[in-house]
Amino acid sequence: MSTAPQGTHSLAFRVMRLCKPSFHVDPPFRIDPADLFVGEDIFDDPLAAANLPPILSTQLSKSMDSSDLTYGNRFLLQHPSDAMGFSGLLLLPQSFGAIYLGETFCSYISINNNSNFEVRDIIIKAEIQTERQRILLLDTTKSPVESIRAGGRYDFIVEHDVKELGAHTLVCTALYNDSDGERKYLPQFFKFVVANPLSVRTKEITYLEACIENHTKTNLYMDQVEFEPAPHWSATVLKADELHPAYNSSTGEVFKPPILIRSGGGIQNYLYQLKLASPDSAQMKVEGTNILGKLQITWRTNLGELGRLQTQQILGTPISHKEVELQILEIPSLINLDKSFSVHLNLTNHTDRELGPFEVRLSQDSVHGEKNVMINGLQTMVLPQVGAFASSDFHLNLIATKLGVQKISGITVSDTREKTFDLLPDVEIFVESD
Amino acid sequence: MDGPSPTTDPLRNEFGSLNDLAHELASLQDLALRGSWRSILDKVSRARSLDLLSKPHDHLIYLSYNVLALTKLRRFTDASAEIDSLHDFNSHQYKYESYPQLYPSRSGSMVPFSLRFIHAQLPFKLENRQEGLDRFYLLLSFIRQKIKEKGSNSFQESIKIWRKRENFVLHCLIGHHLGAKDFIVCLDLIRDLIDHDYLDPVLISKLGYIQMQVGDIEGAKGSFHRVETMFNEGKNDGYSSLSEVEFRNLVNRNKALIYLVGKDYVSAVREYEECIERDHTDVVAVNNKALCLMYLRDLSDSIKVLENSLERVPTVALNETLVINLCSMYELAHVNHSEIKRTLSNWIAGVAPDDFDASCTRA
Repeated sequence: MSTAPQGTHSLAFRVMRLCKPSFHVDPPFRIDPADLFVGEDIFDDPLAAANLPPILSTQLSKSMDSSDLTYGNRFLLQHPSDAMGFSGLLLLPQSFGAIYLGETFCSYISINNNSNFEVRDIIIKAEIQTERQRILLLDTTKSPVESIRAGGRYDFIVEHDVKELGAHTLVCTALYNDSDGERKYLPQFFKFVVANPLSVRTKEITYLEACIENHTKTNLYMDQVEFEPAPHWSATVLKADELHPAYNSSTGEVFKPPILIRSGGGIQNYLYQLKLASPDSAQMKVEGTNILGKLQITWRTNLGELGRLQTQQILGTPISHKEVELQILEIPSLINLDKSFSVHLNLTNHTDRELGPFEVRLSQDSVHGEKNVMINGLQTMVLPQVGAFASSDFHLNLIATKLGVQKISGITVSDTREKTFDLLPDVEIFVESD
Repeated sequence: MDGPSPTTDPLRNEFGSLNDLAHELASLQDLALRGSWRSILDKVSRARSLDLLSKPHDHLIYLSYNVLALTKLRRFTDASAEIDSLHDFNSHQYKYESYPQLYPSRSGSMVPFSLRFIHAQLPFKLENRQEGLDRFYLLLSFIRQKIKEKGSNSFQESIKIWRKRENFVLHCLIGHHLGAKDFIVCLDLIRDLIDHDYLDPVLISKLGYIQMQVGDIEGAKGSFHRVETMFNEGKNDGYSSLSEVEFRNLVNRNKALIYLVGKDYVSAVREYEECIERDHTDVVAVNNKALCLMYLRDLSDSIKVLENSLERVPTVALNETLVINLCSMYELAHVNHSEIKRTLSNWIAGVAPDDFDASCTRA
């Protein structure tokens, strides 16, 4: 990962990514003497039950006596939970690992003098170079390191909040006087790539469903996922009832099960109900755009390592400005095959001028194929004019020609000049036999 | 049955010492404690070829040590083959009552339980995790069945031992699920134990570590608080038999982790130093203190801490994780680190038990 130029340098950079350490886990082959010296059912024998325990506990205490130099701790169990192989021993990061947008890059940098002579007046710089910018992390120009003795070191730790995707280079440079008094320049480069940890997909009506998918190699503990609505919206998060209610163990403790998104493609969905802050703001909706707000996501990985991201503005579907709207108010609960049934409809004029007269018909749309629910009687219903911001109720007689789940579809309202105002969305009905 | 009282019969001292339990068991055990697993293989091989094992239980116990030695030497396929040679643990040929002249009035299985355990754990080392899990869960239900049976016969000591084995297997399962990052399963298994009043402060601390690993810092704090309360209330029921020093150190180490996660490494080091002052063999405190020093930019001292512990208490400090950490530090501190790692490897070779995995030095 590092590229250093040719030529003899007294100094060299060594770099190690310093993300949080991890707990070492490895269930061991350690046993209880009672499971090795004797048969497993021997304690059924009252003689054994009485005489064995002292021998066994002597063996155990022998192994725990650290002045008796044995490796009994690698062979015998000293506490029951030793079997887990999880003692709390921490392990340094063993590889660079993957780094994701929103995380903090932290690195230990050591500059070693591996020559036999002292070097002096060392100006050290560390920078992160990306496609777009160069960010200075460390610069000792104002107070250069006086000297590093032969075999000595100067260490520092740098941190950088990763805000860009793609190729990054940690550029470490040292400007120093070597033993000959020559001023030398050592650049070293350490490359890494920043990837996208999450993808957020949204679906909404006045409900916003966000689906967060984990692209990283570790599980993510979702600390906070909050929706920040745009100014004229308010949002409430909707949660399902917990499958496992909060525990109330013998000491009265409450446990909140963690939200963990599994690595490599795991998904967690969040649902928000959005309401307009005030009725007036309906008038503020601009045709074609509808900004709902942003998602703020905070997550934690190993030992609480923090990451955070904000999505871009999430847009609602553009509000189409309907002049005339057709709605179903009531459908009979029992619909029989080949028997006429009446559907109660409403037509609303959303404009500020009188519109109509109207025609309501079943559109002959070849895409929907053969229709199993048709208008019974005159195929076109004529409705008189409707005033500004007013509405009118009417009934339509329909008939179903097939059993089972059928769709009422294609009911259209237009004016007498063939301009279509609205298409009623498909409605499902259940058709029973007589 | 008319016979001598169970506790005092000088003529029938079956349980006087280890060697009464099996042929030269004391010597086998001594080798095992020293980690001389190759010598154990030799001893077993010799005993078999010279036909020194007269009784069926001797064969089983020697086989157990042999299997354990093969496992320790990472010869997992060989270990597996040897266990499979028994065919069926539950066969009547491994029952005391099949040999009434040898084991008068004794019945039940003479298979050492560790064989069942090793049989369940080996698949994990042979890249067959699912098989391993299946075997452990089957073993768990086998144990629970045994406990039921013993209960109806009221074998008190036996029931105690089998319950211990039940807990043991549950802990193994938690460890394996943890290794595979099945965190929710681990948390559920631990809560199950705790809810059944298994209140081991070490286990509750480990619950805290898992919560921490996952990122639930508040949950971890809650668990550690519970452990500290148990310490203050003098609660140390029979489960883990912690000494006072061990309990104090546990509380300190838990505190240190909270500081560490909050990046307050100075306070973490202070907690660990308190532990080491109290008990210089607390290798978890030593190791973790060294890591904290490194996060404080003090690589030199972090190396010294680990080197000193290896020198001072080698039989406690010599573990693969500590050595891996030390080698990582060497790689960072020295451009030419192969020499210093070789020195370490040579020292380890002279001191380590046979089962120490020397590849951890990456020398």
